[in-house]
Amino acid sequence: MRNEPVSWTIRFRPKNKKEIVDNKESVERFLSWMKSWVNGIPEKHSVFLYGPPGVGKTSTVLALARDLGFDVIEVNASDYRTSKRLEEIVGRSISLSLTVTGKRRVILFDEMEGISGREDEGGISEIMKIIKESRIPVVLISNSIQENWEKFLPLISLSELIEFNSIPFKDVLNWLRDVSTKVGVKVEEEALELIAERSAGDLRSALNDLETVAGGRTQVTLEDVIILGDRDRQTYTHEALMKIFSSKSVKEARQVISSSYINYDELFEWIYENIPYVLNDPRDLSEALNHLALADIFEGRANRTQNYTLIKYMFTLMTGGVALSRKHSDGTGLYRRLESRLLNLGLPPNSFKISDSPRGLSVKPSRYLGNDWRRINETIRKLGGYWRKTEKIWFLPYFRNPQYLPNLKRTWYIRQARDTLIAKISKYCHVSTRVALVDLLPYLKIVFEKDEMMAREFSRLFELNDKEENYLKS
Amino acid sequence: MCSSLWTEKYRPQTLDEIVNQSEIVSRMKKFVKERNIPHLLFVGPAGVGKTTTILALSRDLFGPSYRNFVMELNASDERGINVIREKVKSFAQTAAISPEVPFKILIMDEADSLTSAAQHALRRTMEIYTKTCRFCLIGNYSENIIEPIQSRCSVFRFSPLSEQDLKGRIRSISIKENLQLLDEGLDAIYEASAGDVRKAINLLQAAAAVQGGVIDDVSIYSVLGQLNPTRIREMVKLCLKGDFLEAREVLRSLLIEEGIAAEDILKLLYFEILKSDIAEEWKVKLSDTIGEVDYRLTQGSRPEIQLSALLAKLTLAGEEMHR
Repeated sequence: MRNEPVSWTIRFRPKNKKEIVDNKESVERFLSWMKSWVNGIPEKHSVFLYGPPGVGKTSTVLALARDLGFDVIEVNASDYRTSKRLEEIVGRSISLSLTVTGKRRVILFDEMEGISGREDEGGISEIMKIIKESRIPVVLISNSIQENWEKFLPLISLSELIEFNSIPFKDVLNWLRDVSTKVGVKVEEEALELIAERSAGDLRSALNDLETVAGGRTQVTLEDVIILGDRDRQTYTHEALMKIFSSKSVKEARQVISSSYINYDELFEWIYENIPYVLNDPRDLSEALNHLALADIFEGRANRTQNYTLIKYMFTLMTGGVALSRKHSDGTGLYRRLESRLLNLGLPPNSFKISDSPRGLSVKPSRYLGNDWRRINETIRKLGGYWRKTEKIWFLPYFRNPQYLPNLKRTWYIRQARDTLIAKISKYCHVSTRVALVDLLPYLKIVFEKDEMMAREFSRLFELNDKEENYLKS
Repeated sequence: MCSSLWTEKYRPQTLDEIVNQSEIVSRMKKFVKERNIPHLLFVGPAGVGKTTTILALSRDLFGPSYRNFVMELNASDERGINVIREKVKSFAQTAAISPEVPFKILIMDEADSLTSAAQHALRRTMEIYTKTCRFCLIGNYSENIIEPIQSRCSVFRFSPLSEQDLKGRIRSISIKENLQLLDEGLDAIYEASAGDVRKAINLLQAAAAVQGGVIDDVSIYSVLGQLNPTRIREMVKLCLKGDFLEAREVLRSLLIEEGIAAEDILKLLYFEILKSDIAEEWKVKLSDTIGEVDYRLTQGSRPEIQLSALLAKLTLAGEEMHR
């Protein structure tokens, strides 16, 4: 008999520093702050770890605490965070640097974004008090420091700030591959890639997805993952977009931001991706994208000056600014694009029928398609749709996933070759990579196309490998 | 025909070999003679010999093993001032000292692309290591270099090569490479390069690759035709036709696959619009928009969004023009 099954997120939680994926610099900073408690009390009694969900903030604290032999006193959103309750939990433990048995401890306030102003009355000021008085390390964790900047400001000024970033696609993929090997499930490479892509750098959600499709099985195909869908997040995102694109007031559109289901960065990308489909009149499109561009500028200023009170202008412009730009559009951008793409295939007009369904467009074959099926399928796949086997239709969601990460992923190999090539040229010619790319590369491409002998000589000169040569020839 | 990269093959190795910029070169020779140089700031357009001059000076000063005493950094490739500081520090502290010259030289190319905050930090670094390390900052415009740095440097302004100097240089290379370069070909090279030697030599070499032995104006124009950023033109056309979505796909591929910086795309796009046959009054209106986007690129954090907003404006312009 096997033990009671443990969820994979717990089973594969890093047990020590070595097992933590990425964010090396942040982990090192946290480690050295923790170490500074061993010989005394550092100037900052608390650190504030922040960053998107599922990138290893809590895991880092737990793993390093274990490495260094600290016990963890954990307080999270499920504890009722009034000052009274906090006092009960934390109690006297903060006044002594060691327990009676000589153990060190650390207090962890997790899921700080969940502290609400009203219900957890006095919560923030109690935490401030704890930090000031504490003789043991205090760790604060939150997903979204920017959205809650004003609320957290007193804590931020007391703490050392350490940012955690999304895990790069490549690393999510490699890690998923390791996990599937460890659990002994054969997962198609394409399936792993799709899971990694959907996770958008969130390791926990990637692992959850993998467990959902692979748990208790020996083999997983791409199809399995497609059917899984992006689950709740997807649903929520679609609802959020629907709301933004149909709002008639700033207030209504802006409400979408305050939900914690999707972070604003991600929402921004979704809005950007889908604006041209919904706001298909050039007047609306231009106005909406201008507002989005302004939103980006406010974010840039907030990040540069670390003055996150500026973020509120970003939020208004990216939601209300986009919603209220819709004046002339009929929202048929996606329909028209799909129709024109399918017509371009030159099939007889009675081959299929496009119709609206609750969450997207459906394309139903209206005759036996034979070999044409493959061509239609390819076209629809490119637009973000897929074939639903059970219903025998293609389904194309109204909203398209942001293309930024998939594009990076798709072009990874070619960009690798380009970057190493450019580095070689720029070093040899004493110019920046930017100059090498714009001013020198075009000449080299001509040479590689026209003069084989000179091209061979260049290959030798720059010590180019096959990939780099192919890049120049393509 | 010997093939290697001609811009490097024919790069002057010593100050004596540099034909143009005679005043600057004579000042440099004086530095070499005194075995002492101040911090230097070289400004001027691309391809006029700024990097060549400092490399030649280094060789004259330190001899053939000058590479041991010189470090080249490129400001646009080093991500933060901290990286620079670390590199400068380790270079200043660890690299060997030449027996005859008590300092090393750090060349910082594209220094004008550093933010002013980074420049202030750089200025401190220059002060700290000034005893053992001289800085040579290189850039296109001195206006983008902060006053305190300018005042610590001897400033040298490089100008584009004269017609005579540039043509002489190209002519001599063509003879050494056994090319038959016709006068019309040479004129075309001069016209296209506008005094930028690197561009002129690259044009000559590409023409030689395409055409072989005899080079006239037609072969030069054919190379220029292939160099033209056709995808930028395609992007503009798609917008004017009303197909924003396709134009955005092209933009993405330029940014991601080809890796061209947003600023460079904008610059090319601007030239493309000025050259295009859209109504003159629209060129004026669009210049305003493009100028604004150019500024916004420095303010925002997602270059693609800023450029997309411009494409949307262009799409709108296209529609209003047809109306």
